[in-house]
Amino acid sequence: MSLVVDSVTKKFARFPALKGASFVAPQGAFVSLLGPSGSGKTTLLRILGGLEVADSGSVRFADLNWLDMPARTRNAGFVFQQYALFKHMTVADNIAFGLKVRPRDRRPSRADIAKRVTELLALVQLPGLEARYPSQLSGGQRQRVALARALAIDPRMLLLDEPFGALDAKVRKELRADLRRIHDHAGVTTVFVTHDQEEAFAVADLVAVMKDGRIEQYGAPQDVRRDPKTAFVSEFLSA
Amino acid sequence: MSKRLANPTEDPLWLKLTLGIIAVGFIAIMLLLPLVLVFKEALASGVKTFFSAIVEPDTLAAVKLSLLAAAIAVPLNTVFGIAAAWSIAKFDFRGKTFLVTLIDLPFSVSPVVAGLVYVLVFGMQGWLGPTLAGYDIRILFSLPGIVLATIFVTFPFVARELIPLMVDQGRDEEEAAATLGASGFQTFLRVTLPNIKWGLLYGILLCNARALGEFGAVSVLSGHIRGQTNTMPLHVQLLYDNYDYAGAFAVAALLAMLALLTLALKSFLEWRYADELAASHRH
Amino acid sequence: MSAIGLKIPLPKSRHVLPGFGLSLGFTIFYLTSLVLIPLLALVLRPFELGLDGMWNAISTPRVMASLRLSFGMALAAAVIDSVFGFIIAWVLVRYRFPGKALLDAVIDLPFALPTAVAGIALSTLYAPTGWIGSILMEHGIKIAYTPWGVLVAMIFISLPFTVRTVQPVLSEIGRDMEEAAATLGATRLQSIGRVVLPMMLPAILTGAAMAFARAAGEYGSIIFIAGNIPAVSEIAPLLIVIKLEQYDYAGASAVGVVMLAASFIMLLALNGLQSWAAKRR
Repeated sequence: MSLVVDSVTKKFARFPALKGASFVAPQGAFVSLLGPSGSGKTTLLRILGGLEVADSGSVRFADLNWLDMPARTRNAGFVFQQYALFKHMTVADNIAFGLKVRPRDRRPSRADIAKRVTELLALVQLPGLEARYPSQLSGGQRQRVALARALAIDPRMLLLDEPFGALDAKVRKELRADLRRIHDHAGVTTVFVTHDQEEAFAVADLVAVMKDGRIEQYGAPQDVRRDPKTAFVSEFLSA
Repeated sequence: MSKRLANPTEDPLWLKLTLGIIAVGFIAIMLLLPLVLVFKEALASGVKTFFSAIVEPDTLAAVKLSLLAAAIAVPLNTVFGIAAAWSIAKFDFRGKTFLVTLIDLPFSVSPVVAGLVYVLVFGMQGWLGPTLAGYDIRILFSLPGIVLATIFVTFPFVARELIPLMVDQGRDEEEAAATLGASGFQTFLRVTLPNIKWGLLYGILLCNARALGEFGAVSVLSGHIRGQTNTMPLHVQLLYDNYDYAGAFAVAALLAMLALLTLALKSFLEWRYADELAASHRH
Repeated sequence: MSAIGLKIPLPKSRHVLPGFGLSLGFTIFYLTSLVLIPLLALVLRPFELGLDGMWNAISTPRVMASLRLSFGMALAAAVIDSVFGFIIAWVLVRYRFPGKALLDAVIDLPFALPTAVAGIALSTLYAPTGWIGSILMEHGIKIAYTPWGVLVAMIFISLPFTVRTVQPVLSEIGRDMEEAAATLGATRLQSIGRVVLPMMLPAILTGAAMAFARAAGEYGSIIFIAGNIPAVSEIAPLLIVIKLEQYDYAGASAVGVVMLAASFIMLLALNGLQSWAAKRR
């Protein structure tokens, strides 16, 4: 059940955002896409999430031709940089959303949904906030709710787009520790985009250093640090 | 890849076509068709008839009256708009919301009611009517009444444009000018005015368009006396009611051209000076 | 400093910038003389009939019919314009096509066009001999000189309000939330119905309220196309004008006060909507 990304390309108008990205990750791995802005990491993530359509290349995951599936059937939980919480819904309704929109036959009962919401809020360490609205929460709390919302659908894959970018350093450290803990507990394959190498190295099993639409180097954090394959990689890591 | 998938937030093609046709169709039928008809009817009897209808003495008198009423109302309302925006944006005081609501009121009141209130004040059965008649001053059914009605319905425009703009711009620059010793008027002329000039122009444009086109309020206060107390819109009504369709549509076409010019200028200002216009205009 | 004999002027007011007294004073003077006092005249006038007299003046069949017509049709027009206005805003914000800017500018036409011009144009258009009127006549539908003419004119006049209140909010929302909904498994329909529309509700309602207020008070664009038949196709503003011509000032004011009250309620409702929308942000 590994994730196989093969030569994915993507152009926006004239601009080539991805020039052929490939990597393989075992089931349950925590992969970080690391690089400066413009490196294509977010584009690759969005392609994995079904929010962009690749021009060429393939992705296989869980024995599925991933890129042939529309976003809503992939069951890939996505956490956005600006949270994208539904402002007019309570925390509970936000988290329950993915369960409520399921077709009748797969939809859990109201009681089950409520139970799941409570469990997830406990998991992200926000017990009791069911009735609050996103506007009443701090940035860190909102991102935890976003994470809970993505986890509610029992995702096969968890995708995070610079989720802690808008938060201050202390909150970032707490959240990434919680994220790792949740990942280990759930065993879900996770892809995490960041430009912060300290963050990537602290939290990931495998790091893909990207530049200009390509993956310059891919491997375990210690291996990449010890043995940078290109000038860019060694510069980027020492910055 | 075997299938070409769309972005999940893109509408499917069939929906785009359907909504597009509905939108364009609705606009074309409800909005454009009447406009086209005005020009078609105006020129239906030929270009010569069109021009002779325009230069007819009563029409020219109506044009003059409209321009005169606008020439008085617009500057007055501009001064008011600047004063109101200045006091609201640069100072703190209680009752601001009430003031703003009051300024918005003529905007939400029926134009006939706008005319009615002045009849009640200045009419012969009104509060001041008999007194003024004693001094031989006629407000109703003559120029002053028409000007008053025009002022009432158009005065929010400049204020509504300037208030959010000046609030948005803050007080920093004016405060700096004050510390440097500038007087109120100097500050306004040299510091504020350059910052608000496009918003001001926009407000004046809308104010003027409404002033020339106002019908209901002026209708109540005018005497409908042909050639004397009819503005252009009232003259259109007069001609139409007298079955002079060529004439009515000729004058209407003039007003329509003015409206199109206003729209063009408005779009131009919105496009070119989006940042200098009120926050609400930034698309 | 005082040793040199310099006079340091004490600040006269607590305001930093100059011109407070002048600007606010002028503003209040202008508003009071041009708006408040005349409105007061309107509000007080019906009272000369006494409360009974006022009620009688308003409850005649003719007056009631005109109020029902004005408010009823305004409500219908507001609903129709809200639906089409939303669609138009959606197309303008979400789709790209040539000529979009022109279409966008045309929306403001009812706003810029003098009401009398709109009035005679609509009247001619929907008359039995008009371009649209003749087509409808073949199907037995009569618009001009009937209450339906009132509706058509109101739809015309109020459209800009429903489009222009929804448009900026729609473009501000962006696509984030719909993307989130899609990744959570929602179909496009569920996305729009559960996420987009609820978020747009304050804006849609605001547009509808403004459309209603404008249509209810509209005069010039309606009187040419309506039949103006008392108790059938006579709008309230027209009734006010007729009463004034008959020197029934008190009766005209009674109807005027009802219209003013409706405007006021609408203003309050709109303010309420704005603060509700602001709280949800």
